Amino acid sequence: MQLTSSPRKSTLVLAFAAISLAAGARADGGVDLTTSLYHDAGGGLKMTVLTPSLTIDGTIADALTLRAGYEADIVSGASVAVVDAPGGAVDAITSATTLNDIRHTASAGFTLHSDFADLSVDYAYGTESDYQSHGFSVSAHSELFERNTTFDISYARGFDRACALNQPRAQEAVDRQRLPSSTGCFSADDRTYFKLDLSTFQGSWTQAWAPVFTTQFTLTAQILNGFQGSPYRAVWLGRSAAMENPPENRARYAAGLSARLWVKPLHGALQLSGRVYRDSWDLRSVTAEGAYEQTISGGLRLRGRVRFYDQTAAVFFSDNYVRQPRGQYFTGDRELSSMRNITYGLRLVYDLPPGEDGDVLGIFDGFRIVAKADLIRFDFRAFHYGGADVPNTDALALTLGLTSRF
Amino acid sequence: MVDSPSSSDRKALSGRRTGRSVRRALVVIACVASALVWGAGCVTVRPSDKEFLSDPSMTFGNEGTAGAHEQHVTSNREGSFGAGSVTGGGCGCN
Repeated sequence: MQLTSSPRKSTLVLAFAAISLAAGARADGGVDLTTSLYHDAGGGLKMTVLTPSLTIDGTIADALTLRAGYEADIVSGASVAVVDAPGGAVDAITSATTLNDIRHTASAGFTLHSDFADLSVDYAYGTESDYQSHGFSVSAHSELFERNTTFDISYARGFDRACALNQPRAQEAVDRQRLPSSTGCFSADDRTYFKLDLSTFQGSWTQAWAPVFTTQFTLTAQILNGFQGSPYRAVWLGRSAAMENPPENRARYAAGLSARLWVKPLHGALQLSGRVYRDSWDLRSVTAEGAYEQTISGGLRLRGRVRFYDQTAAVFFSDNYVRQPRGQYFTGDRELSSMRNITYGLRLVYDLPPGEDGDVLGIFDGFRIVAKADLIRFDFRAFHYGGADVPNTDALALTLGLTSRF
Repeated sequence: MVDSPSSSDRKALSGRRTGRSVRRALVVIACVASALVWGAGCVTVRPSDKEFLSDPSMTFGNEGTAGAHEQHVTSNREGSFGAGSVTGGGCGCN
């Protein structure tokens, strides 16, 4: 996009213009500010996560895009510390412990562009009081056959560390105590950490089959090695409770197929997708989603959708490890039980129209507002807190996003 | 008289069968994928016919940051992962 001589626009793109002028090249850029809120509550349990994020990018001479971002997860809530502890169903939930934490993630990356291919490299660093992560990714994008066929491949590598209680005398998993708090993590002598290494491969093929029909097929494989539980959560094993102990290795595979069909008479798009998943913990799932997005007028679009998800339990999951142990492993993670959920969602997107001078609001090349609301209903049919059903099964997710291009 | 196979023999046989089945499935998938990609090369939607395909509601992954936030929520609330965009680390403890 050509850099214009508008004084206000020049102010906004000052950083990129300086680089561009030095290189004698064109530049454009964008700023995205998006905030999401997730909330579920029920019984004595609740969880609220506020996620604000800021992303800035700039493209120089259509050849190089630089980007940087920041995201936070502000978490507050109450969760069960010892799953299935004796004392009755009520105690198991009313004894829930409160938690408050903030995760900060900073990211940066670049993309090299050519006529029919892009190559991207990204890095992200995340830190919170009890967790640290480094993530690297390399991805390539290629367009073939008059841009009707697109291939994307990516490889991501993660190096994470989770805080835990230092227990040199606890040689066996059943002797390990849960982490009582994040105080002293990564600094005090009575704290240690567990490592988690992640490798993720993904490939996708997007194909335009007709002027009104396109599909996307995606394959993902992920290999994890390290601690994959919560250091805060313990499971009652009969005589005592111990920090949950899932297997250290996990291989995950997923395949997804999405299709979009333009409905000419309605001037809208039908969006369908499905996914199957399986991993080496023998957890299997299916996901199906149907959506319809209607262009109302100009840049205003409304989408309604329904998403259905169903999974089986991990092979070592038990709702009661005292009566039904599963070998050497044990977990109190309800997301590893057989469960399903259904999501009802609405999304409104509004692209502000340009003025007479061609700019939006006299400053931008484009300005988009996104408002989104999802109601998620969970069904934990095989998970109980000491005999009591999971109380917080309804969740609300809200998102507001502002994106500008200049 | 032929001895019946021991438990370990049965497991080894089962493992070899599973290995063969996986290899056979991979060959079939590779053949089908190759045929589809080859066939895709024969499909031509001219640039002048891409008015509807270029509409934002027909574009995959057009949710941007809002979509990334949604994936962050679902990956922490479900046991599954993938076949979307590649995501980074995170605790997921809560």
